[in-house]
Amino acid sequence: MAEASDDRPLLQLAGVHLHFGGLVVLNGISLDLQRGELLALIGPNGAGKTSVLNCISLLYRPTQGRIVFEGEDLAGLSPHGVARRGIARTFQLGGLFPHLTVLQNLLVGRHAHFSSNVVLDGVFWGRARANEIAQRAAAEEIIEFFELERHRGELVSKLPFGVQKIVGFARALAMEPRLLLLDEPSAGLNREAREDLSRFILRIKHEKGIGMIWVEHDMQMVADLADRIYVMDYGAHIADGEPRQILADPRVVEIYLGSKGN
Amino acid sequence: MAYASGYFKTDYAMELRLIETRWQKVSAAVLVLALGVFPLISPQVAIGIANQVFIAIVGAAALMLLTGYAGQISLGHAGLLAAGALTTGVLFKELGATFWVTLPASAVVGGLLGLVFGLPSLRLKGLYLAITTLALHFVVAFVGGEYETRRGFSTGILISPPAIGGFALQEQQHWYYVLLAIAVAAMLFCINLLRTRTGRALMAIRDHDIVAESLGIPVRRYKLLIFVVSSTMTSVAGCLLAYYRGFVSIEAFSLYLTIDYVAMVIIGGLGSMLGAVLGALFVITFPYVIEGLLRVLPIPAGIANEMFAINYAAFGLVMILFLVFEPLGLVGIWRRVRNYFLLWPYRQTAVGGGGG
Repeated sequence: MAEASDDRPLLQLAGVHLHFGGLVVLNGISLDLQRGELLALIGPNGAGKTSVLNCISLLYRPTQGRIVFEGEDLAGLSPHGVARRGIARTFQLGGLFPHLTVLQNLLVGRHAHFSSNVVLDGVFWGRARANEIAQRAAAEEIIEFFELERHRGELVSKLPFGVQKIVGFARALAMEPRLLLLDEPSAGLNREAREDLSRFILRIKHEKGIGMIWVEHDMQMVADLADRIYVMDYGAHIADGEPRQILADPRVVEIYLGSKGN
Repeated sequence: MAYASGYFKTDYAMELRLIETRWQKVSAAVLVLALGVFPLISPQVAIGIANQVFIAIVGAAALMLLTGYAGQISLGHAGLLAAGALTTGVLFKELGATFWVTLPASAVVGGLLGLVFGLPSLRLKGLYLAITTLALHFVVAFVGGEYETRRGFSTGILISPPAIGGFALQEQQHWYYVLLAIAVAAMLFCINLLRTRTGRALMAIRDHDIVAESLGIPVRRYKLLIFVVSSTMTSVAGCLLAYYRGFVSIEAFSLYLTIDYVAMVIIGGLGSMLGAVLGALFVITFPYVIEGLLRVLPIPAGIANEMFAINYAAFGLVMILFLVFEPLGLVGIWRRVRNYFLLWPYRQTAVGGGGG
């Protein structure tokens, strides 16, 4: 959108704290994400990775700190407002609508791209009908991108878990976001599905130039794909930088494998 | 090419057609013909039942939208029907208003009530929401009761038949065509709503409201919207009911009526508009069937006097049987029967599912 100020980061988190009562979930997280950058967010279970995503999509309200997307502070927005600004996300367990088909799930993702209203929808007239046809065509492009043609008309609840995760990914991309938040997209997938997933992530990065924050446990995938890694533990920043440098960092190794003393 | 070997869709517009194949066109034509001829060859009683079914279809479709598709449980349905009927009755009695005034007025009153009683849905879900909608029922019942007593209409308000274009609707047959048209219009409205963005947003909210929100759907606005749409439709059904009966009494809108409508959507099959139709048909005809059975079967006269109790006992039993054995409702049965004939002579049972 704002091409003129392309040099400023796509997303900035500045000193984000999240407290639930006395529990400190996030303790001063600060990070910058550039346009088209693939940032992996890693850390042990309970480190607060998903909470970071939830703060960005405003499902949680940060107790303290600022989140700025394309120069706009998100604090005053609602979760659907954040989505409409161009931030899409996936959910750990898919978060799909089980009683809808794959196609319908994708069309829900394109909700904000429709311009009809309830009355027009009810009589199926004018814009309502034109929208349905145009958005269907747009959804088909996503279906083709993710190779979901043969599942198009199936109910999501009937699909294997691996395919469901891809549908969740596809639905987020159907929103045409400029920032994509991926919450453990590879969890529960077998090796083949992970390879497909890696291919999709790379294609999105190279063909669409969408910035991504990617919560991931598969270190091989992270090492191969990420531009940069951000490591968290106990809600706090541990390290960030190039994958090779981070995965060799003794602090990171200790978090993941325990200290040598044991 | 002489014969097409199948039905091929070549653009997305074709996907949006409600009636696609030649076979469907023929079926639709037969259905229209049957509905058109029905009042000409049926006894008055049957036409009367059909008229009640048409009004119930409007109400059941409204509840299906709200509960079956948007997932918002409501126990205020009788209250909303009463609101429509009462608005009609009061405007007719006090101002001598015509049908063309009372109908939109009922719609507006219903919509406003829906807006107010939809507000709790922004915070509450499930049973808690159901309890707050129950309040709607009692508010309307109280207001209606007060009005009737204060104005001295404690036996009810008589309403003369509506005049449409100088033509008074009195005959059951004439009512039939008017109500049929209204029921069809209501169904088409709902079906269209459900195959477009509004319907998908509602189903998304029903299945996963937090996810729906993060996909850019203004969940709160849609919840209120569906409460308003559903309440407006229900209130219109109430207005029709008042004119059709020619009489409004708040006592006719008891909690039993709410149960009737909840039963329609459950027995019909939650999450299906066909279910709303089948449910309305089933629940409205049920007491007549029971009554007929009691007349045919050799049962002592004393029991036959307890029609109301027998009706509701049988009704409760049917509800339980449906919930236990066929949670998909009449629509589930219909789909199974249809698939059986579509696949015949092959069994529909899944591979390795055993015989039977």
